[in-house]
Amino acid sequence: MLEMQGMVKTFDAVVALKNASLSVKRGEIMALLGANGSGKSTLIKILSGLVNPDGGTVLFDGKPLHIRSSADSRKHAIAAAYQDLSLVPAMSVIDNMTLGMEPAGPLGLVDKRRARRFAQGCLEKLNIDCNPGALVQSLMPSTQSLIEIAKAIALKPRLLILDEATASLHSDEVDTLFAVLRELKNEGLGIIMVTHRMGEIYRICDSCTILRGGETVAGGAVKDMDLDQVVYHMTGKKPDTSGMEHHAARKHKEDETPVLEVRGLSITAKLTDINFRSYAGEIIGIGGLDGQGQQEFLRAILGDETHSQGDIMYRGHKLKLHEPADAIRRNMGFISGDRNKESIFPIRSVAENIYAGSSARGLVFSFLSPGTVRRFAQDSVDRYGIVAGGLGKPASSLSGGNQQKLVIGRWMALAPDLLLLDDPTKGVDISTRQEIHRILKDCAASGMCALYSSSDNEELLAISDRIYVFYEGAISAELEGAGLVEERLVAAMLGLNRQEASGAAARPGAATAQPGAARKGAGS
Amino acid sequence: MTRTVVPLARERFSALARSPAFTGLALFAIIFVINVLVQGPVKFFTIRNIALLFAKNTPLILVTMGQLCLMLLGIIDISIGVQMSFVNVLAVMLPEYTGMSVVSAWAVAFLAAIVLSTMHGLVVSILRISPLLTSFCMIYIVKGINLFVMPKPQGKIPPVIYRTYDTNLFGFVPVSFLILLAMYFVWFYVKRTAAMKHVYAIGGNERNAFASGINIIGTKLKMYVLEGIYIAAAGFCLTAMSAAGNPIMGESYGLRSISACILGGVSLAGGWGTMACALFGSGFLVLIQNTVFQLFSLLPRIIPGFTANSYWQNLVSDSIILMGLIATVFTNKVQRDAIKAGILKQIKGGEDYGKR
Repeated sequence: MLEMQGMVKTFDAVVALKNASLSVKRGEIMALLGANGSGKSTLIKILSGLVNPDGGTVLFDGKPLHIRSSADSRKHAIAAAYQDLSLVPAMSVIDNMTLGMEPAGPLGLVDKRRARRFAQGCLEKLNIDCNPGALVQSLMPSTQSLIEIAKAIALKPRLLILDEATASLHSDEVDTLFAVLRELKNEGLGIIMVTHRMGEIYRICDSCTILRGGETVAGGAVKDMDLDQVVYHMTGKKPDTSGMEHHAARKHKEDETPVLEVRGLSITAKLTDINFRSYAGEIIGIGGLDGQGQQEFLRAILGDETHSQGDIMYRGHKLKLHEPADAIRRNMGFISGDRNKESIFPIRSVAENIYAGSSARGLVFSFLSPGTVRRFAQDSVDRYGIVAGGLGKPASSLSGGNQQKLVIGRWMALAPDLLLLDDPTKGVDISTRQEIHRILKDCAASGMCALYSSSDNEELLAISDRIYVFYEGAISAELEGAGLVEERLVAAMLGLNRQEASGAAARPGAATAQPGAARKGAGS
Repeated sequence: MTRTVVPLARERFSALARSPAFTGLALFAIIFVINVLVQGPVKFFTIRNIALLFAKNTPLILVTMGQLCLMLLGIIDISIGVQMSFVNVLAVMLPEYTGMSVVSAWAVAFLAAIVLSTMHGLVVSILRISPLLTSFCMIYIVKGINLFVMPKPQGKIPPVIYRTYDTNLFGFVPVSFLILLAMYFVWFYVKRTAAMKHVYAIGGNERNAFASGINIIGTKLKMYVLEGIYIAAAGFCLTAMSAAGNPIMGESYGLRSISACILGGVSLAGGWGTMACALFGSGFLVLIQNTVFQLFSLLPRIIPGFTANSYWQNLVSDSIILMGLIATVFTNKVQRDAIKAGILKQIKGGEDYGKR
């Protein structure tokens, strides 16, 4: 029914899709798989009209299809439910469900009664228990997800796209959804499903398409592929789940106080029961697929997110932070990979950008001469090899990699005790990356402790002394010593080691979805 | 019986407390009571007093209604006041310059107001220039046109217009109130159309509205046209009220209508508020000024030798308005988060939907 061939899309310098293709038949549920940044979302956004492709052909029922906007996509009966939701929080459930397709009454008015009946019908189909008049923002995240799906199904599409729509659902909700999906499939719908819960693929999907680095690398019927093969195609590596439960003995002195110790940290709906420990001089990797709670974890330590439960101990004392400034005053540093949003002041000069972290510590009205700022900045430019056209030039004149080095220089110069790095090498080229790693290792050698979150496995393995792997808001594995190999990391990222041991714990949805996959994976 | 009535009443109240207009209603009710007490119920509840309040303030209320149309999209129009003056200037000067009849002059002024705000809307929605910046430029452009057409306050209108405006139908219904009612019915209709659902969706989250297949540009333009209709009505009322033309009289209405909307509980970021918010908010502004005026005319009688000029009145009434604005932030949960988002949105000039 749907064919995409040779899709190409580049965002500035980043190649999102190189040569991606997929095909969905009528009455088929296809899983679209791939690691972070493999181009799944871009491919889906092309279909739903949020992204215009640079090249490639889309054939729908054998006819070429041009989708320029979401309205176009709807017109061709393609509906998508997004992971980050497309609901409007301050509107009622009814208004959200009927948005863009309001039932018309006389005089161009909206027929309220029909709209309510329509919405109620959709809610009942998916067994969603909520008041259709309630505002969406007042509902639970999982209910919101279900409404997002119901909204897509309500469009009566011929092609339905679910982009990680099950990520926040509980097991019973997943069951209902799957029953509905099977029904739709029998009615002849084509369904594309993106998920990182491998168990769900074997439960519901007929075929799969695997993307890696913007290219389609494999595809075919799900029953012909076992989990090892799927993971192999996704990552280019074989997973290894053996011996995951046994952690090697700790090398630290028993009496040493950890720089950071986290006990039972929870953030409602985002993190559950995180236990974490790191010592001076260590670089701790934080791994996992996108959005498994790593960002929230780092920000909770920084005081940017409030946690609902648990303690954070910093150098042996309990820490209660209200804002990041408190953390900076206590000698922490934070480097974000999202430069534009969280670290760079693009139109201010390079020197001011470097000095920004230092100025956060002094008195607000303490005298600061341009010379001080310049000397400070020159010092870090020399030390960290930031290639700056001139200290007075705006930070936006630097390349992405140099901007990132600039941010790193900003914090290194303060010699923090604890440095939090959230994907600091996002969009940074390989040589700069190595440079950043070298700087980090030097600083760690002189006693700094760093938490390094990254979505790039190779990088994590290269720099970390230990790795905590996050999966669905909990730590699924702690790797160290001989366990620091990509196979295990990949397995932990997909939650493959956890399913039998701690199945009932964190999220029931994940737990029941996994065992089938595990047996399949282990049996092969 | 009573058992079922009590929870129902409580339910009704909690529904009211969650509605966007609650803050505005509370503020309005408080100032209404104070006003009646200060002025004395006997003096306040006279047909003459109430008719005067309506006649003097209908332009502000209508402009606030126009402002609300855009604020629901998360757009602020500070040029709404000078646009109203534009209507006033055209309505007065066209017959003098061209000799056309007053009726056709007003019809031209009506269309001109809509064309003006539509052009404003084109710049904001298609070129995606920051709405705040655009309306700031609009102030100077429109003011320039106004002063070009009418360099100083002048002109007159046929007496029948302002006499009609000031009469009371059946002896007790002010004509200005009927105009307000008619314009409210415009909203009453529009609110129930699909377009208004789209407006709330865009104001609530522009990217999600786009992802739901909503025509963003078209919806925004529709609202600019609607704003134009309200501006034209306000301009006509201003003309009838002052019975003359004044090229800059309307300028202060721009900022006052914005504060009236916020006082009424409308979210600056968009997507939250109803026309009731605009009515209560502008009603609050009107009654504050009236109360403070009455208070200052009362004080010399209580305290002998007390003198104060009108600047003191403004200081007092505007301080109370500021307190009202602060109160909205605390009482309205949506507002609290929205003000932050709203300021960001104004500075960035609309969102992009991740489309390149």
